[in-house]
Amino acid sequence: MSDQNVPLSRRQILRDGLWTASLTACGAAGAALAALSRRDSYVWQINPHKCIGCDRCATHCVLSESAVKCVHAYSMCGYCDLCTGYFDPDPKSLDTGAENQLCPTGAIRRRFIEEPYFEFTIDEKLCIGCAKCVVGCSAFGNGSLFLQIRHDRCLNCNECAIARVCPSQAFVRVPSRQPYLMKDQI
Amino acid sequence: MKDRFGKINNGSAAVLLAIGAFAAGFTGYVLLDRANHSGKRAGADYRYPIEELAKIDPAKILYRQVGTAIETGMESAAAIEADWAGNFYVAGDRAVAVFSGDGSKRRDIPLVSEPTAIGVGEDGLIYAGLSDRIEVYSSDGQQVSAWAPIHTALLTAIAAGKTDVFAADALHKIVRRFDKQGNPLGLIGAKDPDRNIEGIVVPSPYFDLLIAPDGLLRVVNPGRHRIEAYTFDGYLEWHWGRPSVGLEGFSGCCNPIALAALPKGGYVTCEKGLVRVKVYDEEGNLVGVVAGPDQLGWQEPLRVCEKPEDCISRGLDAAVDGQGRIYVLDQSKNVVRIFEKK
Repeated sequence: MSDQNVPLSRRQILRDGLWTASLTACGAAGAALAALSRRDSYVWQINPHKCIGCDRCATHCVLSESAVKCVHAYSMCGYCDLCTGYFDPDPKSLDTGAENQLCPTGAIRRRFIEEPYFEFTIDEKLCIGCAKCVVGCSAFGNGSLFLQIRHDRCLNCNECAIARVCPSQAFVRVPSRQPYLMKDQI
Repeated sequence: MKDRFGKINNGSAAVLLAIGAFAAGFTGYVLLDRANHSGKRAGADYRYPIEELAKIDPAKILYRQVGTAIETGMESAAAIEADWAGNFYVAGDRAVAVFSGDGSKRRDIPLVSEPTAIGVGEDGLIYAGLSDRIEVYSSDGQQVSAWAPIHTALLTAIAAGKTDVFAADALHKIVRRFDKQGNPLGLIGAKDPDRNIEGIVVPSPYFDLLIAPDGLLRVVNPGRHRIEAYTFDGYLEWHWGRPSVGLEGFSGCCNPIALAALPKGGYVTCEKGLVRVKVYDEEGNLVGVVAGPDQLGWQEPLRVCEKPEDCISRGLDAAVDGQGRIYVLDQSKNVVRIFEKK
């Protein structure tokens, strides 16, 4: 009890202050270092303008279900009734019948918006990254469907098994702070 | 393994050697090829059969190319038109280039901005569409008039008649009608249930039209894969065309992208994606093929592009002269190919 009444000397205040400042500086330096190392890390991604939709992304990923999935740039989409990324080249009818669909796993959803426009979304759980829809969309449509490596799945292998076999060298290392190469933004 | 004298049996040694070689080969394959899988591909169900679709029966190709492709000298050729005398006009690179039928350039008519459409009237006047406005030039390149700009428009085709000029506006998906002085007279093709007009669908900026010899407009409705016939007052008379990757129909999401009329009746259509130029009769029945992917130097739909703009798919435009020669502008290669009947 009596210690509490002992007044602090200026020297003690100065010493404690210096300790606090030093610790804060150490913490800030650590955080800055962590941020710097995070900023300088790189991840794999597919340049959609180099991708030729060869289907190797579906077969060469070390994961049994590829980390590569189809994504959709809605700003590029024509919202076509006859979507060539969704429908078989010669569909029997323009409806959601399985026999009319192009995707071998049925991973694309078609939703009516207003006559004559339809919206197409990717069910990522079903997509295997075979790029069949990417070829159909790019060949006949606006090319709004394209492949990207999903970083919630990618193991970021030092030597990516798909990058090794990619015939168009579309696999590139990108900064982890900008991990996606969206087709409508590059 | 060893015989009773302690020597190694030759047969046993050979078996051991074979097993060793097999093990080495197997290990090598597993270790080396596991990271490569060079032969491993998805099955046919996972590939788009575009090469198969591109094949055309040679017997159905009724035209042949005259000479070699003519270089326009442009970096961004947008549209082509031909007159009855056999001259053809290419719009692009802030100019209209006038060529004679043999491919020699006669003159350049400079424009203030990038052209998006061109039309040539029977009186020889040249109508250049500059996105949202039209400028009129005489055949010797003198500016006759510059019409007032339209508030937001993307003019992709112009057809000039005796008293009216029609322009296809891909932005608003309508046809704009003007008089010869550029005064707006009306709009054609907008959705109108009372007139049984479903509306024009233009998913990509290709929207063509022409004035047919029967006095009606022919307007391409690419999103519905058909050609629609309208009166000048905007009444839809009939239409023809259907979607199909087969030769009879129009492939892809939105085709045809260009239309031209033959002097003896019938129409020339151009398709993008699976590039095809075909001839139909006046009722819309397929007559034959002018050129297919092989004749047009078609490349794979997906290719490696160093710059995003290299990947922008560009199409074809077509024009026909008085002798029935078909001029096909390849917008990606900036060349003109001339086809005549075999």
